[in-house]
Amino acid sequence: MIFVFSISGILALFLLVFFLVKEAWPALVKVGGELFTSVYWYPTADPPEYGMLAMIAGTLLLTAFSSAILLPLGYLVAFFLHTYARDLEKSLVRTTVEFLAGTPSVIIGLFVLFYVAPILLHFDVWSTENFLLAAIGLVLTALPYSVSLSLEALDSVDIALEESALALGATRFITTLRVTTRAALSGILNAFVLTINRVVGETMIVLMVGGGAAIIPRSLFDPVKPLTAAIASEIGEVAVGSMHYHVLFAAGFILLVLSLVLTGLSRYISRRQTG
Amino acid sequence: MKKFLVMFLLAVSVFLVAETLVIKGSNTVFPIAQLWIEEFKKVHPDVQVTLEGAGSSTGIAALFNGTTDIANSSRWLKPEEIERMNKEGKYFIPFLIGFDGIAIIVNKDLGIDDISIETLKKIYTGEIQYWSQVNPNLPRKRIVVYSRNTASGTYETFESKVLGGARMAPYVRMVESTQIEIENVARNPYAIAYVGVGYVTDDVKVLKVNGIYPTKENILKGKYPIARPLFMFVDATNGFPEMGSLVFEFIMFAFSKKGQELVEKAGYVAAYGQ
Repeated sequence: MIFVFSISGILALFLLVFFLVKEAWPALVKVGGELFTSVYWYPTADPPEYGMLAMIAGTLLLTAFSSAILLPLGYLVAFFLHTYARDLEKSLVRTTVEFLAGTPSVIIGLFVLFYVAPILLHFDVWSTENFLLAAIGLVLTALPYSVSLSLEALDSVDIALEESALALGATRFITTLRVTTRAALSGILNAFVLTINRVVGETMIVLMVGGGAAIIPRSLFDPVKPLTAAIASEIGEVAVGSMHYHVLFAAGFILLVLSLVLTGLSRYISRRQTG
Repeated sequence: MKKFLVMFLLAVSVFLVAETLVIKGSNTVFPIAQLWIEEFKKVHPDVQVTLEGAGSSTGIAALFNGTTDIANSSRWLKPEEIERMNKEGKYFIPFLIGFDGIAIIVNKDLGIDDISIETLKKIYTGEIQYWSQVNPNLPRKRIVVYSRNTASGTYETFESKVLGGARMAPYVRMVESTQIEIENVARNPYAIAYVGVGYVTDDVKVLKVNGIYPTKENILKGKYPIARPLFMFVDATNGFPEMGSLVFEFIMFAFSKKGQELVEKAGYVAAYGQ
């Protein structure tokens, strides 16, 4: 029974990948290099241009920037919770974080759009949907993942290891920083990768507050349109089977490859850690 | 068991007898057609209507293939299509169902009331980036330009009537809905956007284009420059749709008082009964 279930799960996954590749194939073959080298995204113009460079760059930059805030922050919160927090504080923060994790991203998007964006107007920023807001939204959605996964990794370390370090005279700070973290490193890295994967795939927030202009952002206040936003925004009304449709699937394919690379990286790192 | 069988046969026979009406085409006409179908089904509850909004060209192509009964279109036939009609010996007839006017909106606090098509084109293609370039009395602030995304019929009209083949600047924000455009323009004092006239609210200011407001009258008289007629096309190769046939009934309903009211409800300008 279990076998049947797992097989159908795996089958579904393969079908998904097959479907994605099949639909993306015409775009990859016919449009080819232009997809990755051109910044001109005019899918409905005549003649059309399908340059996704700006959107790929947007995805990567946004992911890198958000992760640079998210990962250290997530680790620090987990560090505090693991080392210093009392049981009450720990459960309080955990509950809050889990609650935040359960909040639909569209709600977070609305919050950013209606409460954070108007603040920017006071600072003479020319656009109220931009890279910075998208990053803020992404940090809000993905922080719970980074915190609870990092905390889980830290908490799973054998208590005897920490007690020995403390018994040898190390402070709690040093113990967590050098002993626990090292022991939990593969878990923490996995937490990081899962968080980054979450950021790459997040759609609703970047769609709502990213600004939706396909340019390579040069400042924090420029609009950004990542691949996910392009797919969500345009797939609804393209003619099935048109080149525009195939190109959007190619965008999905790029996202899939990105996520596979990240997952592979985490596997590689954790294997090296344990092996 | 017998009872069940009878019920089953009854259900099947109803399904077989049920007439179907297929409508395909323009995204712009889609919301109107949706309202019509809802209302039409109240009178003809046994009719199966499918509606697909895949673009005007797709709708007309489906009419050629005979895979649709009615093709919605937010444009007139293209020369290639007329040629193909002649070649294949087909004859499509148009039904004018309403008009679509596109309003240019800005924030209420912006000191501008009028804009020319020329300036509008410059704003959307990126030739002008600051309000002070539009009018020296306006502040030197970056214009925040909004557009509907490329899938939109409103976008197509705007592209052909204002841009005239030129391309939008890449930094123009392509948004998913008219609602988002209106909210952003209401909040951001330096934003500009275009929306179907039916969507305009009191939160934003509608600009005159070349000195003319997009009122119903100006749209109907063709004075307002960014407007266009909306059509349904029907294949009449074998004669006008027979009286009493589903296509005939549907078109007559579209032309009825109720049908034309629904055109206005969908945010467009009714073609008849003004």
